[in-house]
Amino acid sequence: MELPKRVVHHIEALLTGAKYLVAKPRMTVMYPEEAQILPEGYRGMPKFNREKCRSCSLCARICPANAIKMYTVEVEGEKKKKYPGINYNRCIFCGFCVDICPAGALEFTDIHDYASYSLEDLVFKPDRFAEGPPPRPFKPKLVKPMLDEEVGLKYVPG
Amino acid sequence: MSERTIELYIGPQHPGSGHMRFDITLDGDIIVKAEPSIGYVHRSVEKIAETKTYIQIAPLVERPSLADTVNPNLGYILALEKLLGIEAPPRAQYLRTLAAEANRIHSHFYGIGILGIMLGSSTAFMWAFADREIMIELLQMLTGARITYSYVIPGGVRRDLPVGFKEAAEKALRYLERRLKDYEKLFFENPVTVARLKGVGVLKKEDAIALGIVGPNLRASGVHYDVRRIEPYAAYDDLDFEVVVKKEGDSYARLMARVEEIKQSMRIIRQVLEKIPDGPILHEKYYKMIPPKTRKQIEETGRLKFPAAFATLKPPKGEALSRVEGARGEFLYYVVSDGSPRPYRFRMVSPSFRNVWLFAHLLPGHRLADIPAIYGSIDYFPPCADR
Ligand code: SF4
Ligand code: SF4
Repeated sequence: MELPKRVVHHIEALLTGAKYLVAKPRMTVMYPEEAQILPEGYRGMPKFNREKCRSCSLCARICPANAIKMYTVEVEGEKKKKYPGINYNRCIFCGFCVDICPAGALEFTDIHDYASYSLEDLVFKPDRFAEGPPPRPFKPKLVKPMLDEEVGLKYVPG
Repeated sequence: MSERTIELYIGPQHPGSGHMRFDITLDGDIIVKAEPSIGYVHRSVEKIAETKTYIQIAPLVERPSLADTVNPNLGYILALEKLLGIEAPPRAQYLRTLAAEANRIHSHFYGIGILGIMLGSSTAFMWAFADREIMIELLQMLTGARITYSYVIPGGVRRDLPVGFKEAAEKALRYLERRLKDYEKLFFENPVTVARLKGVGVLKKEDAIALGIVGPNLRASGVHYDVRRIEPYAAYDDLDFEVVVKKEGDSYARLMARVEEIKQSMRIIRQVLEKIPDGPILHEKYYKMIPPKTRKQIEETGRLKFPAAFATLKPPKGEALSRVEGARGEFLYYVVSDGSPRPYRFRMVSPSFRNVWLFAHLLPGHRLADIPAIYGSIDYFPPCADR
């Protein structure tokens, strides 16, 4: 006796679902206990290097979100200088500032997850911008995502 | 309104309707009239754009239409390049195509997942959202970001292929090919899916044309129309792919059109990686403006640095029109320059804005319970329509 097509399709759907009940591993990273190792060139929160900066203001001019502002800073034994500060509230991680900086004074960090108790706390003036966003308060287990033919994405402990 | 009918409002809080509202008139549980009420997530992209410099608009235009971001970005840059009178070099054109197609795949998975959850198939939703991650991971390797890539810039693209990209992409494509067969069994041929979608929300060919419908929704009604073919841009002219057309015009055809398009996009990605020519990824005019030391660094890392001129692009007076085939349909841009660093007029027509009238057209005559099925099959995205 031949089963009607609909019955066959119902059974196939159930079997396919059941197969994946036991198939491993799954594409889940138990964030924040686990965190991904991000690829080189990942556009995380930008960080500033004062020694390299030429005070050209290009970063502030290109920023589409008005996240960067130039601050006048007193430098010992020199004239006053202009350095960029950032408001991470506004930053959209486009990376334009890093890409246009002619001196390499801005670079990407791999930090994208920083929480703060107040909005003001996310405004980083030049000296704090130079320290960059604070590291995570605890160390997550790091995993490296690898594209895989069998399971799609494999997370290899790194 | 007669005594027989009642009015029902669905939304705008997100009951699966997205951030929009439907004003529905019902007779029993049959829909007599349906009016989509849009604008709840309007952010005035056009007017904001007129206050920004040209380069700053690139990240702005990709924000409204989550999932599909490379295509709106590319469409805008094509208009800007017309104003500037430049074209990207061949390698950049191929990279644009690569990013656009990888994005089309993850956008289609997004749409399929949403359709799944609207039909009550949580599994299809979870699967599609997980498999979307494959292409996101790949694009993250290329661009450094997950969704909002701002990858296409005037005269080229921001980054070259990273080491190991081709191998990673091949693995990803093989995985997805195999997975699509499982989707077939679990979701596409699942009798529940078929019963909910086949013959539901039929859009006739003439109506699709008259209403100005775009994208897979148009092609699922038997219209052979795809901007990638009609007005080829990027590297599409050199590549072999089929425009997926379906006759039926029902919700099922719209779903399957997207599935077939995923397969075509994979075909395009393979060809791009096979045929991609060597050469620069930025137009000579701008590349020459970068100091030699920085140029050396670019060649080593494959990651571009912008010339200072990008902060103050001033296209000559004029106007430009451009369009691209996004995942949900055609994006159209019209940009007017008055010679200043900001556009005088900026117009962006998004595919969801064109497709929204399908609700008014398709819903009447159906049962109330068919709304999610028809909605999901259109791959309609309110922020994309509202801009
Ligand atoms: S990454 Fe973009 S938004 Fe953030 S500070 Fe730099 S230019 Fe501004
Ligand atoms: S673009 Fe670079 S060099 Fe210029 S002000 Fe900003 S950080 Fe300093």
